[in-house]
Amino acid sequence: MIQGINGVAGVAGPAAVTGASQAQDENFGEVLDKAIQSVDNQQHIAEESIRSLAVGEAVDIHGSMIALEEASIALHAMVSVRDKVVEAYQTLWNMPI
Amino acid sequence: MGDVIDTFNVAASGLSAERLRLQTIATNMANARTTRSEEGGPYQRRVPVFEAVSVDRFGDMLDRETQRVVVSAIESDGSAPQPVYDPSHPDADADGYVAYPNVNVLQEMVDLMTASRSYEANASVVEATRDMAMRALDIGR
Repeated sequence: MIQGINGVAGVAGPAAVTGASQAQDENFGEVLDKAIQSVDNQQHIAEESIRSLAVGEAVDIHGSMIALEEASIALHAMVSVRDKVVEAYQTLWNMPI
Repeated sequence: MGDVIDTFNVAASGLSAERLRLQTIATNMANARTTRSEEGGPYQRRVPVFEAVSVDRFGDMLDRETQRVVVSAIESDGSAPQPVYDPSHPDADADGYVAYPNVNVLQEMVDLMTASRSYEANASVVEATRDMAMRALDIGR
């Protein structure tokens, strides 16, 4: 029995975010680097699953397709973050001093 | 990202289960007239048994309620074989009756349609999840 949604359980709230920033020496660039690494991993998983599908090792076609979808969503999320970063940078660049 | 992947995994388990059901139906159809089997006697109709398993047993309440489907067993249907009078058949008994498998091709056809519709339903879940995630990403632009 699924009971009411107690708060927003899945989404990382402020508590989770402060938890992540406990490592004080980790700057934004490193966080971004890790995120890109994980997106890259996802791409490799998708590539591997497509390879195994092509050579006939994979049993499930849908498994490979879902891995591709996951990789695609992760890539889109990363591109969205990059767009936001570039946008913020340009806002600062165009600021009249 | 985790909940999207969980939903994908649940839908993928449904797809795999339906694919396995299709495989079982294919086995039943192919062996609808098989009079010899490894366990002796005519082929026995196979039925897949599905079981719900929590994706994350140790997570919070909502996570535990997210359940994948796994095929826990493929059991043989216990019903009796169909006797058909055919004395010329090599496997006919002393009275001329051949024990044919307990497979009803019509029933298998209905199961086949159910399996393919269920597969489509699970594929729709994958698509909807993907669309939701993409829609969420569109908020940012």
